[in-house]
Amino acid sequence: MLPIVGYTNKLTVEPGETLDVMVSSFGAKSYRADFRQIIQGDTNPEGPGYKDKLVALDLGSDRPALEKPFRPGSCVIVPGLDALPPIKDFTVAAVVKPTLLDGRMRSVLSLPGFAAIGIDENDQLTGVAGGHALVTSTQLSINHWHIVSLSYCAATQNLALSVAKDLDGASEPSLPEIVTVKAEVPPGNPTECIFGASRESDGELAGFFDGKIDRPAFFDTALAPNTLRHLLTDLSQLRRQRSLLGAWDFSLKMTTQTICDVSPFLLHGQIHNAPARAMTGWLWKGQELDWKLRPDLYSAIHFHSTDMYDAGWEVDFSVTIPDDLKSGVYSVRLVPDGDEDAAYYCVFAVRPPRDRASGNTVAFLFPTCSYMAYANHRLGMDVPGTEIGMGRAVELDRHHMFLQDNPGIGLSVYETHDDETGVFHSSRLRPIVDLQPKVKSFLGGYGSNIWQFNADTHILGWLDAIDQDYDVITDEDMHEDGLRLLQRYNVILTGTHPEYYTGNMIEAMQGFTDRGGRLMYLGGNGFYWVVSFNEDMPGIMECRRSEAGIRPWEPGHGQFYHGFTGEYGGLWRRNGRPPNHLCGVGMTSQGFDISEPYVVSPEASDPRAAFIFDGVDGTRIGGFGLAGGGAAGLEVDRADQAQGTPEHALVLASSTRHTDIYLMTPEDLLDPTPDWSGTQADIIRADLTFFETIGGGAVFSTGSIAWAGSMAWNGYDNHIARMTKNVLRRFDDKTAFEYPRR
Amino acid sequence: MARYQITETDIPFAREFLAQPIGYHSPGLQRVLNRMRGADWEFKYVLVVEERYARWRLGRLAKKRGAKVEMVDDVTYTDLLEAERDIFKRRWKDLVGQDVETLLSQSS
Repeated sequence: MLPIVGYTNKLTVEPGETLDVMVSSFGAKSYRADFRQIIQGDTNPEGPGYKDKLVALDLGSDRPALEKPFRPGSCVIVPGLDALPPIKDFTVAAVVKPTLLDGRMRSVLSLPGFAAIGIDENDQLTGVAGGHALVTSTQLSINHWHIVSLSYCAATQNLALSVAKDLDGASEPSLPEIVTVKAEVPPGNPTECIFGASRESDGELAGFFDGKIDRPAFFDTALAPNTLRHLLTDLSQLRRQRSLLGAWDFSLKMTTQTICDVSPFLLHGQIHNAPARAMTGWLWKGQELDWKLRPDLYSAIHFHSTDMYDAGWEVDFSVTIPDDLKSGVYSVRLVPDGDEDAAYYCVFAVRPPRDRASGNTVAFLFPTCSYMAYANHRLGMDVPGTEIGMGRAVELDRHHMFLQDNPGIGLSVYETHDDETGVFHSSRLRPIVDLQPKVKSFLGGYGSNIWQFNADTHILGWLDAIDQDYDVITDEDMHEDGLRLLQRYNVILTGTHPEYYTGNMIEAMQGFTDRGGRLMYLGGNGFYWVVSFNEDMPGIMECRRSEAGIRPWEPGHGQFYHGFTGEYGGLWRRNGRPPNHLCGVGMTSQGFDISEPYVVSPEASDPRAAFIFDGVDGTRIGGFGLAGGGAAGLEVDRADQAQGTPEHALVLASSTRHTDIYLMTPEDLLDPTPDWSGTQADIIRADLTFFETIGGGAVFSTGSIAWAGSMAWNGYDNHIARMTKNVLRRFDDKTAFEYPRR
Repeated sequence: MARYQITETDIPFAREFLAQPIGYHSPGLQRVLNRMRGADWEFKYVLVVEERYARWRLGRLAKKRGAKVEMVDDVTYTDLLEAERDIFKRRWKDLVGQDVETLLSQSS
């Protein structure tokens, strides 16, 4: 377990910039903090040894460790309703489609202290106003939209709750169920309206709804359900209704946090905890698949009780990065109650200054998008098949036990919400407990079994071991600064698994190699999924896994376009930017048990590749390593001209077999037959690939996540490390590569 | 969900697994392992790390997200391959109802 956890407000900072640190106790009474550069995080006794460096930076003395909660759950909050005159007669209404009914009481909409519509523990609709409660006999369904309303007429003292279930298969709407009671509801003056949650007496949000809500509306008259259906069908007519107090069209400003009231009162609101927008609404029947072309059909928000954007913890302390601190991967280390073994590492990158180059010609690209995609992932806990893919039992490290006890920390884009729909968003504004050195994982192969950041420290450790000066830049830096930043370098090295890329990042990297830059892609399954940032919500990322790719869920029919940007979600391969263009190879298979050597190919003897093999002999390379015992494994890429690999690319070496845990990716497995496995199909291989670019640049791709685990073997003294160094030294020489004209 | 049922006729695959728990497996053994490791369980055996790369405790992880990991009393491993063998034997007992070591001794 983790007695203390924390996070910083940024994953990349420049010298002189201030970093906020948020900390919570999960058992610790006090803590002290220090500042460390992370060099090598793998603690496997077979590895090169853990290494960090204390930076002399005073972060203060012991501090009390305070408990701060996780508060997941999304909703819409509309403030300022007290600007309206006191409410006597009213109707509140919405069109809703629950996606999880599990006996929990949930709020559909709430005007705290005045009226509310919810779902009870029997899945029946409830309405409350003036201390009077109504319940329908109709049970709501996760398969249908429902028009729900609560209305009151002071003259007749009639309080009415209504539900009409829209049966998709029926040719006309079903009749509503209306339950009424004679009641006296005093006039009210609610201050806010909440969709998808309610507010407790202590001010905290509660009763989160799992499901879609469309076009909630508020009137100063009691409306009959059939009239209401007619009005809600056409929002453009609805806004002229003189009885209208508010109508919220979720299809407006969908890429932002803003919720628009289309009534003349302009009671606009905000989303809370980043629910999914640009989702198919009540009136979507497949008329259009791209929300940008018919936004009116995408008028629903899908709320989840498990959504999380910003943990919102109070700042414990701030750190100003010294002006002379060299770029690198650093951490604020939190030591609880003097127990160094229980220390928590808040990891981030110190990038070079924005306004001037550091002079370093080599940069390590710290893949924050991929770290965010996997942030707090639960593959070994939530997905039974993970054990099959690992070929051995799941190991649960301390941070996994913490995740199991604290699901409220928020999910990764590998999980499903409790309603089994996909998690589209992952945020860095919360602790990311697997973004730490030392931690073990599920997918890292027999051996060290480390993944993403900790596996990437094999590369950082190697750079340190060969005394290579380098800058660290992050995905977010590349997304923001593009080629302006990349052009400072001769060489950019990736991490072991740079899988998630924004459009800006792809363009910047392609522009870099096109113009003479040198890319060392030291990983596997890179440049694979489309992700997007949101200009209105810093620190959160979207991924909609459409059509293909190895993926734990699909986004749902009609929901393949990202809500943040309108980009078509899914694989870059299906968006005109196959990884093969950029790095010569593309994802072909995965297995997480053991890895293999590469067999050197005749193309390796091409003089163009001589510098790579300087001092390296033999026909098999990489038959050792910390990631499954070989350099080729875990996730592997193949060269394929049909997918865009340049014709002049040299495939220097390839793995020639893998276990039958390695299977084809769905995008290549058009016709599933039982011969597409690692012992049978030649297409399942890692291709070590090199090519020059027309601008004098070059690309070296390992096509394997396990490569870095071999670099770190035997204290970085081995032929894989030597080859990597050969490439780095030549790539760092500005002499242009000659583009072969065939 | 699982169509394949492990029976005594799979005993050669048990022998194969116990000889080499991790790595290349025959198709028959892989099928046995798929049955053992697939989704058709109310809980999964997991290895709870006590000391990284040195010591693990056997745990039972329930299907429900956030459920407490139940520790199996007095079962600690200092070698991952031994852990794999022990978990295999436990699952064999659960699925076939017989002790795999007894079957192996009878069939040898």
